[in-house]
Amino acid sequence: MMKRRFEKEEVDVVIVGSGAAGGVIAKELAEAGMSVVILEAGSSRHPQKDFASDELTMKNLGWQETRLVDGSHPLTLGHNNSGRGVGGGTLHWTGVMLRFHASDFETRSRDGVGEDWPISYEDLAPYYDKIERDIAVSGPLHFPWGEFHGPYPYPERDALSPNAYMFMRGCETLRIPSAATPLAILSAPFEDRPPCINRGFCNQGCMPNAKFSTLIVHIPKAVRAGAEILSDCMVTQVVMGDDGLAKGVIFVHEGKEYEQKARLVILASYVVETPRLLLNSADSRYPDGLANSSGYVGKCIMPHSSHDVYAKFEDEIRLYKGTPVLASTQHYYETVEARGFARGYTIHAHGARPVSFVQGIMKSTEGPVWGEKLREVALDYNFYGRLTMVGEVLPDLGNTVTLSEEKDEYGLPRPLVTFSYGSNDLRLIDHAVESMSSILKAAGGKVEYVVPDTAHLMGGCRMGNDPASSVVNSYGQTHDIPNLFVCGAATYVTSGGGNPTETVMALALRTADYIKSKAKRLEFSGSMG
Amino acid sequence: MESHYPSYSILELKEDWDPHTRGIVLSRLYREHGYLFLDWSEAEVLQSLCSLLCGDTRGEILQYVVSHIDESLHKQYGEGQRKLHVPEERVLVREGIKALEQSSILRYALPFFQLEEADRRTLLLELSEARMEPQIPWKNTPQKAFFQKVLTLAIEAYYSHPTVWSEIGYGGPAYPRGYIRTGFGQLDPWEAKRER
Repeated sequence: MMKRRFEKEEVDVVIVGSGAAGGVIAKELAEAGMSVVILEAGSSRHPQKDFASDELTMKNLGWQETRLVDGSHPLTLGHNNSGRGVGGGTLHWTGVMLRFHASDFETRSRDGVGEDWPISYEDLAPYYDKIERDIAVSGPLHFPWGEFHGPYPYPERDALSPNAYMFMRGCETLRIPSAATPLAILSAPFEDRPPCINRGFCNQGCMPNAKFSTLIVHIPKAVRAGAEILSDCMVTQVVMGDDGLAKGVIFVHEGKEYEQKARLVILASYVVETPRLLLNSADSRYPDGLANSSGYVGKCIMPHSSHDVYAKFEDEIRLYKGTPVLASTQHYYETVEARGFARGYTIHAHGARPVSFVQGIMKSTEGPVWGEKLREVALDYNFYGRLTMVGEVLPDLGNTVTLSEEKDEYGLPRPLVTFSYGSNDLRLIDHAVESMSSILKAAGGKVEYVVPDTAHLMGGCRMGNDPASSVVNSYGQTHDIPNLFVCGAATYVTSGGGNPTETVMALALRTADYIKSKAKRLEFSGSMG
Repeated sequence: MESHYPSYSILELKEDWDPHTRGIVLSRLYREHGYLFLDWSEAEVLQSLCSLLCGDTRGEILQYVVSHIDESLHKQYGEGQRKLHVPEERVLVREGIKALEQSSILRYALPFFQLEEADRRTLLLELSEARMEPQIPWKNTPQKAFFQKVLTLAIEAYYSHPTVWSEIGYGGPAYPRGYIRTGFGQLDPWEAKRER
């Protein structure tokens, strides 16, 4: 039997998921005095005991449960773009903190592609400021692109890595501006956490606690403020009442079903599981799933295109040294008509440990590399440098999360994730591969491998002012069910051309403010807060 | 094919590693139990397959690779993703091994692990490009998916073996130590030094 504090009670808020979105909103609402329960499908880990400096073992930080994939460009999921366990994806992200640019919120009006967001950069700016302060983001003195140019709360990381210096040298030769990447990784002590030791295993879980994750920052703060975190609890259904309001959720722990009643239900379960949960909660009153009167639940999902380019150098680079991402350029972020495509991308110098290195090369565009050939490349592992792109992918109604025929361990239909690039996406990728190759060449490298890949996921419950073509409003509140919220990357309208996590956290703060103000005025259902 | 770092041994650094990581890495040097999912004949086929996939014939490393595949299939951690209409991994690998054996017998009248290396290579090359003839044994088992699945599992294990780490000059586990000299061309004293 599992012990829980609010078993018999209706809490103010139940939050599904404990990653960048769920962790941040849980802390804010708990500190505002609300009773909060957070349900996390995965386990709770101790960074110094349960993490390891090992790629193979730490694959388990990803959401490994099988999803079916289809489309012309079937996605790689798991560790590639999602997390499982308290902390969610923040356990294995690279810590890159980039704000969206003003143009990201207006792609339809400015460039005639995608859709406009119901908010502008100005709506998020104060929340970007706050989250950067809250976790002491380290960043350059001057960040050359977008609306915010620094300074950041903490100085940039110093020294960077050999791969980052190689990249900056290439950029300099070509007169492309580059900068140290703003990171949620400490450059000096903050609160009870030490600065980074350049271990390099950000994707395997940070052992010294130098990298922010909600496991070590927001969830403990939420718990200190009275929230309850329940791990190994997979939410299988949102429960609806006869009044058209959500009443709580059903979840499974060690094979047994439980219910948590709540006045507000917040789904912070990312881009695959959020639509899946809404679709799986269908019943005779909601045959197409919850919050789906628009038909947009599970529609317009987007990854970032994330091709990697590997070049070989005369001298050693040693891709394992230091934080994986330490230097970047957003020189190609905004639309330039002459390039022949709309929107743009970020380029990062991106380190790699041996397994991800060979698993990349193996999937190179020139056909499968394996056996002796792969071993030959691996023996020169230390002589390779690597750049990666984070490219905007435009929303498309054909890219979806739906339910498949196959069942998972809970007896629920497995999600089917369908994805194909559009022609603008492909032209953008070609351009980025060309840019990355030029930088590597300018740095003295010989380009050897181009590896198609994707990163991150966005959309599937997009926000908008029109309930006919969006699932939630700009606060993440579903148009159909006023006490059911979606928080996180699932609400994205477009993908942007940079890493999405800072915007996830900023949106979570904005939703938290909205809920706090509404709760004070008792506008949801009954008494709260 | 030669290592740039012939005298570097990562295991000499093991006392610098945290106990959790050390336990994980050292366990790769010893076989802890028999197979949990594969039977011995499947393991034999798989081992000769992995030898070609990894480009290595050293028994102790291949043994670890096959044990890793066996354990992954036994524990069913989840596949992350699987293409629609591709059989789930346990079925894919088992049926793929069977189909490879049948192809080998139909083509060369010998089981796969007894083939000349050149013949094994031919079959594998065809498999990687999904053009292995005859097609009949592969009716329900997509060749490319089988090849990719075994390659992915084999490679992730092979490049997690400390002997291979030493050969490629990888710095390896780095907690609580980290790195101090990270400028271009700088080395910490414990890193592999290039010998050729």
